[in-house]
Amino acid sequence: MLNRDLNRRELLRGGAGLAVGVGLAGCGVGDTGGETKKATQKGFAKKVDGDLVYFNWAEYINPDLIKGFEKLHGVKVRESNFDSMPAMMAKLRAGISYDLIFPTAEYAQRLISGNQLRVIDHDKLKGAQVFQQFDQPWYDKDAAHTVPYTMYATGLGYRADRVDGMSGSWRDLVGADSSGKAFMLDDFQEGIGMGNLINGYELNSTEQAELDKTKNLLIDMKAKLRGYSSDTITNMTSGNAWIQHLWNGDVVNIRNQVDSPENFKFQKCDEGIPVGSDTFAIPVNAKHPGTALLFIEYMLDPENQAANVEWVGYPMPYEGGAADAFAGLVKEDPEIDVTVDDLANGQQFENLKGEGRRAWDRVWTEVKVA
Amino acid sequence: MSEQRFAAGFLFPGALWLLAFFLIPLGIVLAISFGTTDDLGNALYGWHPSNYDQVFDPLFVPVLVRSVSYAAATVAFCLLIGYPVAYYIARFGGSRKNVLLAMVVLPFFVNYLVRTYAWVAILGDDGIFNGALGTDIRFLNTPYAVIGGLVYGYLAFMVLPIYAALDRMDPALIEAGKDLYGGRLATFVNVTLPHTFQGVLAGAVLVFLPAVGDFVSAQLLGGPDEYMVGNLIQQQFFAAENWPFGAALTAVMMAFLMIFMVLYLRSAARATREAAAA
Repeated sequence: MLNRDLNRRELLRGGAGLAVGVGLAGCGVGDTGGETKKATQKGFAKKVDGDLVYFNWAEYINPDLIKGFEKLHGVKVRESNFDSMPAMMAKLRAGISYDLIFPTAEYAQRLISGNQLRVIDHDKLKGAQVFQQFDQPWYDKDAAHTVPYTMYATGLGYRADRVDGMSGSWRDLVGADSSGKAFMLDDFQEGIGMGNLINGYELNSTEQAELDKTKNLLIDMKAKLRGYSSDTITNMTSGNAWIQHLWNGDVVNIRNQVDSPENFKFQKCDEGIPVGSDTFAIPVNAKHPGTALLFIEYMLDPENQAANVEWVGYPMPYEGGAADAFAGLVKEDPEIDVTVDDLANGQQFENLKGEGRRAWDRVWTEVKVA
Repeated sequence: MSEQRFAAGFLFPGALWLLAFFLIPLGIVLAISFGTTDDLGNALYGWHPSNYDQVFDPLFVPVLVRSVSYAAATVAFCLLIGYPVAYYIARFGGSRKNVLLAMVVLPFFVNYLVRTYAWVAILGDDGIFNGALGTDIRFLNTPYAVIGGLVYGYLAFMVLPIYAALDRMDPALIEAGKDLYGGRLATFVNVTLPHTFQGVLAGAVLVFLPAVGDFVSAQLLGGPDEYMVGNLIQQQFFAAENWPFGAALTAVMMAFLMIFMVLYLRSAARATREAAAA
């Protein structure tokens, strides 16, 4: 089931959807915060109020569950995919109406601050036991607008049969002997965040002096990289990468696709681990919020949680179904695990604003053009 | 007069199309290029010409030089590969001409990005090519792979205009060249090539312009040192969420490419005038 030779999410990460997004540039200039807060608070019943217009990463949900939901409620799930958070934002800005989206925690925070997400009545969701760490998530006061979906940690994936000298440090990306087959994630947050951690700074540091040092470190590392790529699964399974900067769930997927999974390892690095989580959210202009709420509840059914975790390879922060399923997936290599405690102890990417955000963009651009 | 006016009406759908899907979006790009962003990452209209100061940062010169060099190399390879192909089809294609032309166009049935992605599988370290040859050659993440991807992607744009020029050319001219004791090479250089020069020029422009701005080939087949202008622009939209700067880069890029377009149009106009005078 997990053997997909050409992973669509990766293809999209690789740029497939970019052309579409660029085509949209310009449609949505304006203030997404223009909607009044009132519209976000309008209540709605948990019942079928139309087909579900669903917007997610590709290959980021078990398709059998979508079919099951369609059958159970006699509705259609009309699926479309984004390839990055900015691409998702571009579509939302363009005013396209979706019933259910899957923003990362920091984008959920941004959408909430712009009054873009409907308030979700958690009392209406039965069955799911979310870990209490998610009762008061940093990105959503009282978890009013979001329901947790998945969680992940960033680290280094490597070929234990090929690479010598893994020492537990982020520096291994270019320091261990991978015969020049090392890829950094093509992601400004993960790249700069790793640099900051190696230098012993806060993950989200925006101090100019620190960022300058991080920039120089990243430029030094660049000379020893084979490339910047978020096509992590293809890079590892094709043998093009022997060390790859990636998210822990990708390793689960890689191991499911190769002949000798025991050779594919995940290293959580000593300098610190960026962690993150994704959410379910209902945009303020959703036409069928009732169906969306039904879908969330369906996904949180313990059996469905387990089926989903096994398929996507990422844990969901729910006791019982999801937690047990993921424990089963990683029992041979506990290093891949990311728990709610990791999430609490790890460092999360924050929404940088204004000058801080521009400073990060400048660093990443200067590293890329250097 | 009325017939001319009637015929001018035929331009209407095309003009409407260009207005809706080219001029208006271009206007929006230009407007955004003077804008700014809010904390939500939204682009806001405004008057911030400083976006253009950033564009002319010397930091970007190597990227621009690289993009132009890759595109020029792409044009050269497309010409070397494309001219003989067009020549064969036009002169010796016979009844199979249309089939051969269809084969040139056939790859366009599949999206460029998907085709480029296929090269990753073909040229990978443990890929199909290395597997078949039993070799261990690193094709990917090199400038050669990026230029190869560009040549592969845009070759048809070179073949088709050269084919059209060759097809238009009267074969009797080649006979005449030979009658005048021109060898094969002399006839080609003095007769065929000058007669198809406008086709070559059109092909060169059609390949060069998209190749300079391409980001797919460098992203999928390139390494850290093959970063092109297209990647820089794409990064501003999809990583930095800095649409104004991305739009300013786009505007300057278009102005730069316009120079080549104008040079081509002037050359084509001169050729038409000379043909009419002759």
